[in-house]
Amino acid sequence: MTEREWTPKIVAFCCNWCSYGGADTAGMGRFQQPASTRVIRVMCSGRIDPLHVFNAFLEGADAVLVTGCHIGDCHYVNGNEKTQVKYQFLEEMLQQLGLEPDRLHLNWISASEGERFANFINEVTAKVKELGPSPLKPAGVR
Amino acid sequence: MKEMIYQTVCPGCNIGCGLYIRESEEGALVVDFMKSSSANLGKLCRFGMKLPHYYSKATNVVDGKEADIKTAVKAASDKLKGAKNVAMLAVGATTNEEHLAFTKIADALGTVVNTGIGAYEEIPSECHPSISQGIPLDDIEKAGRIALFIDPYVQYPLLVRRLLAAKKNGATIVSVGCRDLNLADENLSINPADYKTELGLDSNSIIIADVHPHTDPEQVKNLLNLSLMTGAKIIFMKPFVDSTGVHLFGKGVGQKGLQEIMDGINDGSIKTLVTLNSDLLELMPNTDEAAKTLEKLDNLVVITSRDSPVNKLANIVIATESLYAKAGSFMNVEGQVLNNSGESTVGIDAMSILSKNLGGEAFDFHAIHDKMMKSVVQKFTAPKYSKLECKVMETAAPAENGGNLISVYNPFMWCDQPDDNDFVIVNMKMVDKLGLQKGSMIALTSDAGSVNVRYTVRDIPDGLILTMKKLPVVTGNSTVVKAEAV
Amino acid sequence: MVKVGDMLVGYATDENVRSRGASGGLVTAVLAAALEKGLVENVVVMKHINEFEAVPIVTDNVEEVLASTGSLHSVPVNLAKYAMGRKVAMPAKPCDAQAVIEQGKRGMIDLDNTYVVGLNCGGSMHPVTTKKMLVEMYDIDPEDVVGEEIEKGKLIFKTKNGEEKAIAIDELEEAGFGRRESCRFCTLKIPVNADLACGNWGVIGDMAGNATFCQVMNEKGVKLLENAIEAGRIEVQPASEKAIAIRAKVNSVMEDLGSTLEKEIFPDIPDEERMQYYMEQMEDCIDCGACKEVCPVCACGEDSKCTMFHSLVDNYKMSMYHMVRLLHLSDSCIACGQCSDVCPSDIPITLLQSRFSIPSQRRRNYQPGINLDTPPFFEVILK
Repeated sequence: MTEREWTPKIVAFCCNWCSYGGADTAGMGRFQQPASTRVIRVMCSGRIDPLHVFNAFLEGADAVLVTGCHIGDCHYVNGNEKTQVKYQFLEEMLQQLGLEPDRLHLNWISASEGERFANFINEVTAKVKELGPSPLKPAGVR
Repeated sequence: MKEMIYQTVCPGCNIGCGLYIRESEEGALVVDFMKSSSANLGKLCRFGMKLPHYYSKATNVVDGKEADIKTAVKAASDKLKGAKNVAMLAVGATTNEEHLAFTKIADALGTVVNTGIGAYEEIPSECHPSISQGIPLDDIEKAGRIALFIDPYVQYPLLVRRLLAAKKNGATIVSVGCRDLNLADENLSINPADYKTELGLDSNSIIIADVHPHTDPEQVKNLLNLSLMTGAKIIFMKPFVDSTGVHLFGKGVGQKGLQEIMDGINDGSIKTLVTLNSDLLELMPNTDEAAKTLEKLDNLVVITSRDSPVNKLANIVIATESLYAKAGSFMNVEGQVLNNSGESTVGIDAMSILSKNLGGEAFDFHAIHDKMMKSVVQKFTAPKYSKLECKVMETAAPAENGGNLISVYNPFMWCDQPDDNDFVIVNMKMVDKLGLQKGSMIALTSDAGSVNVRYTVRDIPDGLILTMKKLPVVTGNSTVVKAEAV
Repeated sequence: MVKVGDMLVGYATDENVRSRGASGGLVTAVLAAALEKGLVENVVVMKHINEFEAVPIVTDNVEEVLASTGSLHSVPVNLAKYAMGRKVAMPAKPCDAQAVIEQGKRGMIDLDNTYVVGLNCGGSMHPVTTKKMLVEMYDIDPEDVVGEEIEKGKLIFKTKNGEEKAIAIDELEEAGFGRRESCRFCTLKIPVNADLACGNWGVIGDMAGNATFCQVMNEKGVKLLENAIEAGRIEVQPASEKAIAIRAKVNSVMEDLGSTLEKEIFPDIPDEERMQYYMEQMEDCIDCGACKEVCPVCACGEDSKCTMFHSLVDNYKMSMYHMVRLLHLSDSCIACGQCSDVCPSDIPITLLQSRFSIPSQRRRNYQPGINLDTPPFFEVILK
C-alpha cells in the first residue's frame, strides 16, 4: 500500500430534521466533498452532549462539527438554543485546554442547503489539513 | 442522629494511610480524609476510596450454620484441642494486638504463626529487620537517585507523590520493570547481574522494592546485595497493613510461605488450618485450585473481621468486629506505630477464651497492648533507617518460567475487590499481530483454563501481557498463556 | 430588636464559653442556642482531637456544641456535605457557605432549614505542613502550641509557657509554608453569603480578643441572633463607626492581596503550550476519584457523567473523567481547594480547574455560591 496523503477525520453531528437533510442534499447534488467525514445523526442538536464531542476527539477525530436547524426552525421549539448555550461553554473549555479553535465548529444548516453543507465541510477540511492531526488523537489511530 | 467516627488505617498495604470511617446509625460507612496523618496527609488511592466494600461484616458459622460467637469459639476449642498437624496463618491484615493474641493460641497448640512470606526463610536472619522495616517515607523525597522495582501507580499509589516530590527536589528516578513509568527518568529492562553497573546508585540513593507472599527470594537477595555493594538505602513495601508488626512478633523461624502451606495440605502434613484475617482464596493466584486444596483439610478455622470467600469453605468462622472498629495498633513500613481510635475488643476476647480453652493463658486487650508497647515498640519510637547487618550473599538468577502473562500484585488483587480493572495490558504490536479490533476481547488459554478479557494498549515489552486482576488462567507470578483474538 | 443589615459586636454570656471559644465565643453560643431552642435538630461542629486536628461531626447534643473548638486555621475541610439532608446549623468559612448555597440550588440542601454562621477567613493551612513549619520556621515544638492567630499579615503562635512568635505570612509562603494555595488567591474573606458574617476584624478597644463582630445578612441571621439573645446565651451591642471602618479596611487589604497573588499563581500559558501543560499535569492521575468525592459543589452522586463514561481500559491522551469535570465545574467551581488537598498524586487540580472556571465565571459576571441566581450554564432564554 502506498502512503496516501493524510486527510483529516471529521465527525459531523447532524440533526435529523435540518442538517442531516443538508448533508443528504449535498450528496444528491453531487457537490464535491472529502470522503473522510463521518456523519452522526441525532434527533436534535440539543441532544449533543459535550461528552459526545470529547469522545469524538479522544477517539481520534481531527475536527468535530455541531450542526442543527437555524435558530427559530427547531423541530422541538428551542432545542438548538440549548445547543447554543452548551456550545459556548464547550468552546471556551476546549480553547482553554489548548485545542485549536478551527477543530470545533457550530453551524446551522437547513435541509435544502446542500451546497452550504459541502462548502462548510471543504472549508473545515482545508483548515484542519494545515493544522495536522489532532493532539488528542490516540496512538495507533490514523 | 448519632454518627460514629473512627480514626483508622487503610488495610491496603503497609504505607499505613490514615483515614476516618464514619458509620451512620444504619451501619452505612463513608470514608473521610484524615489530613493530619503524616503518612498520607489524608490522601487515599482507589482502594482506600472503596474501603466500605472491603469492610463487609463476617458472620459466625459452625459447620455451615450461623451461630453466635460463644458457640463458634466453643466449637473451635473442641476442634483444636489435641489437634495434630496444625498450621496457623496470619499475614498481617489486622492489628498488632490481635496478632499477638493469635501467637498465644499458637503457643497453646505448640506451633508457630506463619506470616505467609516464604522469602524470609531463604534469607539470613540478620537481614530480616531491614526487610521488615524500611526507611521513613519522608526520606524518599530527599533522595538523590531512586531505583524502582515496583510499579507505584498500580501497586503502592501513595508512593507516587513521594516520588514526584523527590523529582521536584532534584532526584533522578530509574525504573526496572516491564512498564514504562511516566514519573521515571529512565525505564530499564535489565538482569540482576547488571543492576550494580547499570543503575548508578550510591549512598545517597534509595532502592524501592517489595516483598509479598509470591516474591522470588533470589530477587530479594539480589536487591539486598545491590544495597550492600552500593550503600544505597533499601525499602521493601509489603501488601498488608501490619506486615512489619507481624514479622516483629513472629517467631521468625520455621516460617512457611503460602505455597508451602498449600503443599503441606496437599501432601497431608497439614490437617488443620487456623487463619487470622488471611484468606488463601484471595491470596493464591489461582482461586479454584486453592479451593480444591482447602477442601482437603479436616478442619479449617477462620478468625476474621471480613466476609471473604474462604468463610464459605470454613468449618468454623469466628467473626470479629470490622478492622476500623478494633482497639489496637498497626506498624507501617516506616516502623511507625499507628493507633486505631476504636475500642472494641471482640476479637481479642474471643481469642483469649480460645487460648484458655486450649490450656494456654487468658489475656485482655490492655495486657497485650502494654506487652506489645514494651517489648518491641521501644526500638521503633522514631522511624529511622538501620543499616543492613549482613554480608553479600550468593545468589542465583530469579527462577524463570518464561510466562508471558504477568501479574501486577496490588491491593485489588490481594483482596479480590470489585474494581474497574477487568482487562489486560498489551502493546500495539500484539494488537496488530492478533488482529484485535477496538472493543473486542482477547482470549487467554493456559493449563489452568481459558478466559476472555478486555484489553488496553500501553507501551510494554513485546509479547508480554499484564494483568492487575486475578484471572482464572493465572498460576503464579507469571503464567504461560496462549493469546488469540475472540 | 435585630434587623437585616445590623452591624453588632457581641459575646457569649457564659464565662466558660467566652474564655474558651475564639473571640468571645459568640458563634459557639449562637449555635448552641439554635439547638437548645429547637431552631435546628443538629449542629455541625469541629470536634477537637489535638491542636492541629479537628474532625467535623454532626451532633444533637448542646454540651458537645459548647465543647467544640472555635476557628482553627489548620482544619482545611469544606463542611457543606455534612449539612445534607438535615435541619442543621453550622459554622462556615466563606467557601463553606458558598458550597451550601450551590448545594441548595441543586436541591441537595434545604436552605430554609440550614442556618449558616459565617466566619471571616484569611486562609487555612494543612495540619502536617503547619507542624513542619513550626519546627523549621518558628523553632517551636508543635506539642507546645496552645493557640494561633492571623493578625496584620502575620501568623502568630502561642506556646504553653505564654510566649508568642509572629512571622509574616508572605515570608512563610515564600518558604513553601503558610496558607493553602487556593486560599492565597481567594478574595471572599467576609462570608457575606452566610446568614451571619462573624469574625474578630473590627473588634477594638477593651473588647479586642473577647468579642465577635457580627453582621446580620438575612432573615435567617435575624432568627439566629434573636434566638440566642432570648436564650440568654449572648449579649450584643451596635458596632461603632470606627469598628466598621476597621473591619472594611482589613477586608480590602486581604482582598487586594488575593487579587495580586492570583496574577502570580496563574501566569499566562501560550495557546500552543496549554494542551501539553494540562496533559503533563494530569499524567500521574491514578483514577482514585477522590477529587469528585470530596467536591462540595458536585451533586451528581455515584453514577455521574464523569465516572460512568470513564474507564481505565481507555487509553485516551486525556482522561474523559477530567475533561467532563473541567467543563462541568466551569460555572460552579468555588476554588475551595478540596480536590488538590486529597489528590494522592499531588495534582494541583484546583489550579487547573480555576484556569477554566475563573474566566468563564468572570465573563458572565457570575460568582457561584453568593446568592440563588441561576448558574449561567442553565440560563437558556426560552421565549
